[in-house]
Amino acid sequence: MNTIDDNDRNHLRYAEYVLGVLDADERAAVAREIAAHDEAAVAVGLWQRHLAPLAADIPAQTPPREVWDRIIHTLQMDTPVAPRERGSLWNNLRLWQWIGIGASAIAAACVVVVVTQPKPQQQAVSAGVMVSSIKQDNGVAGWTATMDLQRKQIVVVPATPSPIAANRSTELWLIPAGQKPISVGVFTNDATTTLALSPALLAQLGPSAVLAVSVEPPGGSPTGQPTGPVIGKGAIAGAPANATGRQAAAT
Amino acid sequence: MSVTSADEHDELNRLLLQTAQNDRKAFTRLYERTSSRLFGICMRMLADRREAEEVLQEAFVSVWQRSGSFAPGKASALTWLVTLTRNKAIDRLRQRGEVRLDGAAAMENLVDQADGPSTQAEQNQQYLRLRECLDELEPQQRQSVREAFFSGATYNELAERTKVPLGTMKSWIRRSLLQLRACLGT
Repeated sequence: MNTIDDNDRNHLRYAEYVLGVLDADERAAVAREIAAHDEAAVAVGLWQRHLAPLAADIPAQTPPREVWDRIIHTLQMDTPVAPRERGSLWNNLRLWQWIGIGASAIAAACVVVVVTQPKPQQQAVSAGVMVSSIKQDNGVAGWTATMDLQRKQIVVVPATPSPIAANRSTELWLIPAGQKPISVGVFTNDATTTLALSPALLAQLGPSAVLAVSVEPPGGSPTGQPTGPVIGKGAIAGAPANATGRQAAAT
Repeated sequence: MSVTSADEHDELNRLLLQTAQNDRKAFTRLYERTSSRLFGICMRMLADRREAEEVLQEAFVSVWQRSGSFAPGKASALTWLVTLTRNKAIDRLRQRGEVRLDGAAAMENLVDQADGPSTQAEQNQQYLRLRECLDELEPQQRQSVREAFFSGATYNELAERTKVPLGTMKSWIRRSLLQLRACLGT
């Protein structure tokens, strides 16, 4: 009898994955290999090119119109970005959306926070504030995250987040340049959430790091690394020096 | 065929690349050009209209979100779309965790037709080559590979449907895959 060597065995698993005969656990194992090893990804890609043409033998069927409508709705392509309710300045979504326009707006925004909320702790805060507008893949800002280095907390305010499945959680990650994501915590997709920043996280905050949001099982990733799709990313911008200077002048 | 294979291949690649640039018109056109084929796949695999609609919807939401990862040098747009849709459908089948035994009738209609109903201008070269290689397999083995691809069923489910021992089904398909690899090359 001919024997199947290890190389063949691996290739068989990739072929079986593409063909679709593996059970859920085996599929997940191969999916992890694809993510971790280029060799696996290349082998799977080759089998996809080999086998995908078979789909030509399946008769086409026109889907009902509603499917397209639901796609457009899910991607929020059917509604302009709507302003949300007004609240306190800290929770004022229009402000956060506006901050998301670009880093150039941040200096002014910090001054607004300082000037209009003249509480002592707020003044101390603004020198150590970092902001990130987390954009979704559809190009729309999903959330604005404000990191308060003095209070060691991060406030995540929804802008226009795409809905997620009811049995899923959104998890926030800090990704320092060239490093693995660090979990910041699970937050509510569509409500303001405040999370504590650990010393380890505070040490990594900076313009070279990015924030990312992934969809995870309820309660967050079981592995400590993102397991679901990443649905948003944002660069971190610090409050420019002149904002700090003007804040000092304003007090 | 209304368009040549090469033209359609290029058009779909272009539309997917434009979609990656957040071009909504290209995304709409891509849906118009491919949704029937992809919905056919969903219907065949899930055998449930409501679920097939949901999976098609999920698939196209992902197309918009993940189109940036499409690399035309690695695969054609159609291969990319078919793969994404089948993966969504297979995930749904595994979540469902139930065996559908009503695939047998559909199998009769689809398996080993003299000429595949390839009315669409699919990447013809690759398709014809795959068919040639499939034709070299033993009929039972060829049938198993095709049914596996069309249904997204696990080894267990295929064995149960075909009423052969699990080991036999695994051996049929594994041998077929090794033979296909040799025939198709790398």
